[in-house]
Amino acid sequence: MPDVWYTLSADTQDALFTLLLSLPALLTGLVVLRSYAPGPLVRALLWRFRWPNLMFVLLIAVSVGMGIGLIAQERGLRHGTAAAADKFDMIVAAPGSEITMMLASIFLQPSNVPLLDGAMYDAVANHEQVALAAPLGFGDSYGEAPVVGTIADFVQHLTEGEIEGRMWQAPFEAIAGAYVSLEIGDQFTPAHGMSGNVQPGAHGDAYTVVARMPATGSPWDRAILVPIEGVWAVHGLANGHAPDKPTQLGPPFDARFFPGTPAIVVKANELWATYALRAEFTRDGESMAFFPGAVLARLYAIMGDLRQAMTLMTLVTQSLVATSVLVGLFILTRLFRRQMALLRALGAPGRFILSVVWSYAAALLLAGSALGMLFGLGAAQVLSRVVTARTDILVEPHLGWSEVHLLAGFVSVTLILSLLPAWAVLRRPVVEGLRS
Amino acid sequence: MPLPLDLLDLRVTNARGRVLLDAPALSVLPGEAVGIRGPSGAGKSTLLFALAGLLPEATGQVRWGKTQMLALSPEARAGFRAAHMGLIFQDFLLFEELGAAANAGMGALFRHRSARATLKTRAAKILARLGVSDEPRNVASFSGGERQRVAVARALAHDPSILLADEPTASLDRAAADRLVDDLTTLARTQGKTLITVSHDRALLERMDRVLTIENGQLSEARDA
Repeated sequence: MPDVWYTLSADTQDALFTLLLSLPALLTGLVVLRSYAPGPLVRALLWRFRWPNLMFVLLIAVSVGMGIGLIAQERGLRHGTAAAADKFDMIVAAPGSEITMMLASIFLQPSNVPLLDGAMYDAVANHEQVALAAPLGFGDSYGEAPVVGTIADFVQHLTEGEIEGRMWQAPFEAIAGAYVSLEIGDQFTPAHGMSGNVQPGAHGDAYTVVARMPATGSPWDRAILVPIEGVWAVHGLANGHAPDKPTQLGPPFDARFFPGTPAIVVKANELWATYALRAEFTRDGESMAFFPGAVLARLYAIMGDLRQAMTLMTLVTQSLVATSVLVGLFILTRLFRRQMALLRALGAPGRFILSVVWSYAAALLLAGSALGMLFGLGAAQVLSRVVTARTDILVEPHLGWSEVHLLAGFVSVTLILSLLPAWAVLRRPVVEGLRS
Repeated sequence: MPLPLDLLDLRVTNARGRVLLDAPALSVLPGEAVGIRGPSGAGKSTLLFALAGLLPEATGQVRWGKTQMLALSPEARAGFRAAHMGLIFQDFLLFEELGAAANAGMGALFRHRSARATLKTRAAKILARLGVSDEPRNVASFSGGERQRVAVARALAHDPSILLADEPTASLDRAAADRLVDDLTTLARTQGKTLITVSHDRALLERMDRVLTIENGQLSEARDA
């Protein structure tokens, strides 16, 4: 049996698990409703007590929605950050914190990091297994947009060649990210510094926008990419090339005139070579090479504990909600005790009374859960837009199997628990109910 | 088939030990119409509920034919009511959000599939005979007389041999009450039902074969009808 299970696709396993979670409720429904047709009475009760019912449904919807929204949001954030790091196979930087370097080079978070020298850049760029070695130069900004110096091949790699306009041909030409409010032909002068620590007017040179990038779903959509030679030039540094090549842009760089770079984005010819390159360029006191994906995975693992705590909290919340639902159902069933007493007086079997109350509870729970699912997704969408707007990491929440499992478990447990108020209705004295 | 009633030493006491009903003996023939009168709070409704097996605290014997009602489990009592009894209440007790046909055919919902169609057809015929409109509007918009006729149709829809009515005319005006008395007694007689009705309504009681009195929970034959 376990062998068969592992041959199934992940989706099939999840679907079967959902079915397994729902099975107790389905079986309960089957047993309770078998050969009865309580539909008209349930509809009558739902309509008669529509306002308390609506309140109850909304209460369930909000609590279910919060659980689902949290899980969907957390996963959307994880997927978004992973997608943002997708184009960054490996980073070579000066020794230090991998997380700080990852935040700086992929998520463009400002930080002071040491530089790699020209010799190191040469070693990386000229390695036979390296397809791309793009130096990055941070430190300037225009408005909220970081101005990042790099080479044309990196723009090509990041955008897969899909730019609107043309590639830069001079040190003071720029390519604007998808969300930068600069059009082709616009000019701008960068300020020194980033994010609240800006010195306007420190640089006098103006860049001209010659192209715009498509949206990549990463913080780079808010960045302006310029030739790294331009960044070096506005800081009064050498431009990376020998004085006899003043107009050259991009590699090869001359190590003697290479002012330094905080990070090199590396893409290997082959996947296996990436591991060899990481080993080769992780040198004590000189450089460190790391896979951003692996750093993110470690970060997720650390956050995983937090996620488990969140999941546990969600489960505790759902248990409390289930208890509240139960108490609410006890209260709601008191509203129609007279109708149930009447049915009993007319000779309705106990199981029929159970079927009416259980169907009524099921209708409220299913409506609340379905609404909660929509509410959760809606809340996650809103939160994602806020996160995307603030971080430029494209967060796209969607309904995953975790949420479906949570919902199926919640509905299943509460539907089984709904038998308790139904049973309580059955136990109430009939005459007392008729006279109520 | 109409069932005779034999009642022996029926006693109902409340939680404090107060006797609510004491009926040493009563026999009702199959197809007989019996009225029960008495002042408010005398125990008339309690007697009716005890006859229907709705009071678990009742002791003694309530024998419908060969069935000792009080010896049955609550589920079996419900089954007996579903098979043999039709109940009519003072304030109708209808599902206000349903139409006349749905209310009259309510018993179909908890009966076996094979019996549902028959019961619904019978309910529709009785409604037509009682002159209740078959419009699909909710009974909430019906007059008191119409509602009580729907309740009568519900009580008769499954062709019970016993009809128990608790103040069936109390919520109606005189004209509606007279019409209901006509309908109820005519239907009970033509269909051979045993009818036991609790009422203050003199016009109704006058149409009964026999009238009993309850005072302070004590059941006795009436001195005058």
